[in-house]
Amino acid sequence: MKPLLIALPKGRLEEELLPRLQGTAFELDARALKSRKLRIPMADPLLAAILLKGADLPRYVAGGVAALGIVGSDILDECPVDLMELSDLNFGVCRLSLCGPDSTSLEELKAKPHLRIATKFLEATGRWLRQEGITAELVPLQSSVELAPVLGLADAIVDLVQSGKTLQAHHLVEFTQLGKASARLVACRGMFLSEPDRIGPLAKALTGLLQTPG
Amino acid sequence: MPTHTPSFPDLLFDDAAKLRRWEALLMAHLGGAGYRELHPSLVMRNPVNPSTVRFFDGDQLVALRWDFTEALARTLVRRFQEPPPRLSYAGPVFRRPANSWDPVERIEVGCENIQVDPDERAEADRELARLLMAVPALLGLEGCLLHIGHAALLRRPMEAEGIPAELGLEVARVLDRRAIHRAAELLQDHPAKARLLAHAEILLSGPDGPGSLVALASGPYGGLLEAEAEQLTRVLSVLSAQLPEGLTLRLDMGDLRGLGFYTGPTLRLWAPGAQRELAAGGRYDGLYPEMGRPWHAAGFCVRLTTLLELSETKEGGK
Repeated sequence: MKPLLIALPKGRLEEELLPRLQGTAFELDARALKSRKLRIPMADPLLAAILLKGADLPRYVAGGVAALGIVGSDILDECPVDLMELSDLNFGVCRLSLCGPDSTSLEELKAKPHLRIATKFLEATGRWLRQEGITAELVPLQSSVELAPVLGLADAIVDLVQSGKTLQAHHLVEFTQLGKASARLVACRGMFLSEPDRIGPLAKALTGLLQTPG
Repeated sequence: MPTHTPSFPDLLFDDAAKLRRWEALLMAHLGGAGYRELHPSLVMRNPVNPSTVRFFDGDQLVALRWDFTEALARTLVRRFQEPPPRLSYAGPVFRRPANSWDPVERIEVGCENIQVDPDERAEADRELARLLMAVPALLGLEGCLLHIGHAALLRRPMEAEGIPAELGLEVARVLDRRAIHRAAELLQDHPAKARLLAHAEILLSGPDGPGSLVALASGPYGGLLEAEAEQLTRVLSVLSAQLPEGLTLRLDMGDLRGLGFYTGPTLRLWAPGAQRELAAGGRYDGLYPEMGRPWHAAGFCVRLTTLLELSETKEGGK
């Protein structure tokens, strides 16, 4: 039987996730992890992991390449794919916030005739703007979003905030929280429903393992 | 030159031959059970749904047929005083899919069973389930699962708790993804939040057969859903006795897809390795009354496009 693939996220969530998998059936082979291998064996020989950028991960799971995956809810909210979202793993928790220079206020931003907001979270920001009845130009950026107001590309940003230190370093403050993000366990709908005896127990084991505070 | 995901796939020789063979097999199967073919136009008017493929015919906005059930219903209420009880259909539908890479054009074969007398509904549901149970063997599929659900298991508790329709659909949408944590966020400070979430836990506990009906009975809406639980028990017992070899029957109370449309028992046929269900259907008693006819109806469609994808996956894996 071919090993079943589990898609794991690179970056922010990876740092919190990998130590939690140590000593379990899901532990990643350390040598393969250090190499340039894309498919990393897990302690259980019937499992293997692929490490993916968050934005790519839902597609791999929805397309049935990986049976299960772990991804931030911020990513899920931005990409309309048909996935099962089995549990909130309660780690990698951060706020999705509207932030701007500490010299301004939310009221001043709202009063701007042409408000520009830089973000990589276009869907969530668009939803919040509609809810609040605010018209704004969205400036799509993929990284270092906090530079946009500092350098005059935008008046404010919508970004993930964990400790707030990056904001502080750029003289930015949080004005309002649009939502909350955390790691989620996702599954391929087809595999989850057509092979419940294979995928269900794995999903339960991963949830049990990762929902336990690390 | 730009490349595109094949939203409108061309089927070459082998695939075209497979499609014709499956279509003929399924239409003969339905015809043998008394289902007569009705072929509604490929173009439908009044396309309010944004997921349809719309275009202008002169100054009138029209769309390619997005759903056979609705197309047939529009034809029937226009042309018949009494409905023909058993209908079948075959052909393509065009609808924007949930995943951007899935095809827009999908080929289906299906059937509808329409009743004037509400007492005939239970037998019609069983007849449809029996017809669907025979499909895997006809198509040479092994190891398939038939999931039986019931749309009222979530709808009725939400109605009883006064959940607004729009919020109810949103709750159903997240629960269809098994995201009970999202349902908790949506229900926020609603006084029935704890009860509804406890109920959702039972519905989503897994497709594990009649055992979950016991949990349902002792749950917060056990009394309210007594009739539905009895109906499911009967359906499972009748169908289990007639189950063809190689097909597994599962009660899936978490099947909440299409909650705005389905009103009763639902059916979904899965094959190992398929990314989408091979067939789906159920009872939808709201459609004809909305069109001014007091008729009841249920049906299912077999998704030949999914079957083609599955056969390609299997051949590719050899």
